[in-house]
Amino acid sequence: VDDLIQAVAQLDKDILSFIQKGVGLEDNQAFNDLALHAFELQFNHIPLYGRYCERRGITPRNISSWEEIPALPTEAFKVAAFFLLPGREVGTFKTSGTSNLKEQGTVHYDEGGLRLMDATIKAAAGAMLFPDHIRARILVLAPPPEKAPHMVMVYGMNRLMEYFGLPQSRFLVQETGFDVQALIDALKKAETEGVIVAICGGSFGFVNFFDYCKAKGHRFHLPPGSRCLDAGGFKGKSREVGRDEFLDACEAVLGIPKDCCINLLGMTELSSQYYDNTLLNRVQGSAVGRAKAILPWTRVQVVDPDSLKPLPAGDTGLLRHFDLANRGHILAIQTDDLGRLVPGGFEVYGRARDDGARGCSLSIDEMTRIMEAGT
Amino acid sequence: MKPIEADGYYFPPGFMPRETGFIFKTYGQGEGAIHLKLPEVTPELVDALAGHLKKSRSKYLALMPIKRIIRVLDEASRRWLDKAYPLRKLALRTLPVITGFSPQAIEASIQVEMESSLEHDMWQALRSEIGNPLFLDDFQSSAELQGYSRAFGPELIVSFFSENIPALPHLLFMRAALVKAACLGKVASGEPFFAALYLKTIQEIDPEMAESMAVLYWQGGDEAVEDQIFRHADAVVIFGSVETCTSLEKRIPRRIKVLMHGHKIGFGVIGKNSLTRTNIGRLAAAVARDHAMFDQQACLAPQVYYVENGGEVSPGEFAKILALEMAVQEEKMPRGKLPAGDAALLHQLRARYEIRELKGEGVALHTSQGNTAWTVVCEPDPGQFSPSPLNRFVRIWGVEDIFDILPALKPVGPFLQNAAVAVGDARGAEFVRRLSELGLARITSPGNMSMPSMMWHHDGIQTLASLLRWCDVEKKDGIEGEL
Repeated sequence: VDDLIQAVAQLDKDILSFIQKGVGLEDNQAFNDLALHAFELQFNHIPLYGRYCERRGITPRNISSWEEIPALPTEAFKVAAFFLLPGREVGTFKTSGTSNLKEQGTVHYDEGGLRLMDATIKAAAGAMLFPDHIRARILVLAPPPEKAPHMVMVYGMNRLMEYFGLPQSRFLVQETGFDVQALIDALKKAETEGVIVAICGGSFGFVNFFDYCKAKGHRFHLPPGSRCLDAGGFKGKSREVGRDEFLDACEAVLGIPKDCCINLLGMTELSSQYYDNTLLNRVQGSAVGRAKAILPWTRVQVVDPDSLKPLPAGDTGLLRHFDLANRGHILAIQTDDLGRLVPGGFEVYGRARDDGARGCSLSIDEMTRIMEAGT
Repeated sequence: MKPIEADGYYFPPGFMPRETGFIFKTYGQGEGAIHLKLPEVTPELVDALAGHLKKSRSKYLALMPIKRIIRVLDEASRRWLDKAYPLRKLALRTLPVITGFSPQAIEASIQVEMESSLEHDMWQALRSEIGNPLFLDDFQSSAELQGYSRAFGPELIVSFFSENIPALPHLLFMRAALVKAACLGKVASGEPFFAALYLKTIQEIDPEMAESMAVLYWQGGDEAVEDQIFRHADAVVIFGSVETCTSLEKRIPRRIKVLMHGHKIGFGVIGKNSLTRTNIGRLAAAVARDHAMFDQQACLAPQVYYVENGGEVSPGEFAKILALEMAVQEEKMPRGKLPAGDAALLHQLRARYEIRELKGEGVALHTSQGNTAWTVVCEPDPGQFSPSPLNRFVRIWGVEDIFDILPALKPVGPFLQNAAVAVGDARGAEFVRRLSELGLARITSPGNMSMPSMMWHHDGIQTLASLLRWCDVEKKDGIEGEL
């Protein structure tokens, strides 16, 4: 165990310094070495995962590239714990119940693992959300950490506040729900005081807020430099909102230009998050289109949904993530999100879903809806 | 192969719509692409069409003796059973692209459907549901009534098809014709083509009869169009999800007769005394066929097979043999292409079972390699029914006693459709009785799940008799002459 602790500590140091080199870094060799090292530890010390890899004929001894590391489907986290340092949990995050299987996936963090996540938040948000090196009053459309200790998004938002928040930054979801009036008051105050705000939260919370403001005729002209960060998209929600519609509303209701509105892809199974590149592009004067930037300590593959073989850039398939900060659980994660690689990073279209039943056999989704409707 | 352009609708030969616009919907890509021409459906169009169908019916179909109707339908089935029939060949080229099912699956489904749609089957179905089929032609004396009875079908049946199972919509056109009703079929965007081809066959055989039949596609839920149709229809038959059925039903005027075919669940049960060494190969092949047909998309298909412990062959061993048979089926009749979401779900669920297997939870996973073609999982009965992801994801649930499954099936009783049962001992009769009480509409044997006869009470409904209105004449004083 001591050997493992020591190995982990050394790896953490290496990954941490890799992350801290910033988002401009291009060092495939170093990424590959760190990824293979993390894989070796996970292979050897997470027995279930080790056996999962062995079944695929993959061991640390017979691969030389991060691309060959077996990706574990997210569903696996619902039936077993995958944790490198059992007994050393200091944080546990759970997936939201958007899946039709109604069970929560669980991911544990040890102290060092949390520090890696913190480092990615600092480095990624610093580069992508605050590339202009400012601080902002951060208003979060989510419950505070003490009310939602297992929501990874809340943890991340709390770190954002700590690293980049001005005084009077706050969480706006209370026991009674989303405090719309508090947000309106806070926005008005920021307008009057000329304080830059960053509104952060779940995508659907924004939509509800926009609907409310449109109905009541509220419009804001937030100080220049104000920005939005929405996370999660609209999967499993009653209303689908197109990205363009969303950005139009940001502009119309909040007075925030579209390239200052960035979407965040985060998953409980990933320690790192992916941000839209538009704010960074704005600051750098880059003409690359909107995409999720793939930061140096991560890699994204797009794989064929049937064969799970990697697809060429530009083809749509399932997203597979490789994240060095996932040192404490599983580095390579197979999602059921559809997306594709584009110049500047990748795009995500949300969870791959069928267009509806193809036959007349009762499907999992239909059964779930029937049960939820209580009919 | 050149891209094919074809009509994804059917208008009767004598129907001349005014200024109808058309759009093309493309299925597949490149040289194999199919471009289906679809009319832009407006309330005016369906108004004119429904009027035409009803008028044609009263002039011809309603006057046809049932015997002649059956002859035409029988001839249509026979043409489709002929491998050289041009429309069959066209269907085999196009439907795989349109639906994603493999050509072999399409061929098998046409074969199965048409073989059970012959003259003999139709007479039997009519006799089984209404006794004397001649009630449909004229008054027949009824000894019980001491008078006469006659049965009338609706003027116009509108049928909503929302699934992509090929060769299913034709069944409804047959049923409509058997009760001498005009029929307008609203087909699904996923499979708008087969019904139109089938009606072309009717037109070849008896163009006058085809004047009472039409196929159209529009986006379901178009209230202006649907309300217009409801003004004309006197019967509506809906195939669709529970939500589709309920939302349509709410908008259908009360005077209209409604038959609903919601999505359903099938399953299988194998008792320990059927699990003998000599029997096992045949049994596994039969169970594999049940799963392969329509890739489990049909409501007749099994979502789970319960297999009893204590036989010569254990559930786990049976699952292993079944996996080999699924591979055989994949050779013979490959699984269709899947939308990304369906494939993703299969991979995720495989991972779930694999991890549980690695954890030693008494679960076994067998899969095709390098794709999602087939999956067989074996686990102890979780004691609660949950739907399968389908697409040849076979679940074998081991049970101590076949009667143990009944409580778990009770809550899903309203959704139960079809069960394949092989008990293998004297418990069979009692078991079948208990199953039937749960809500099932059909009990058959493994290997036959996808092949009901025309006599089957589809979804537990008398599909022909339910459409009829009867008129009884009590022969009392004042009515002269023989009816």
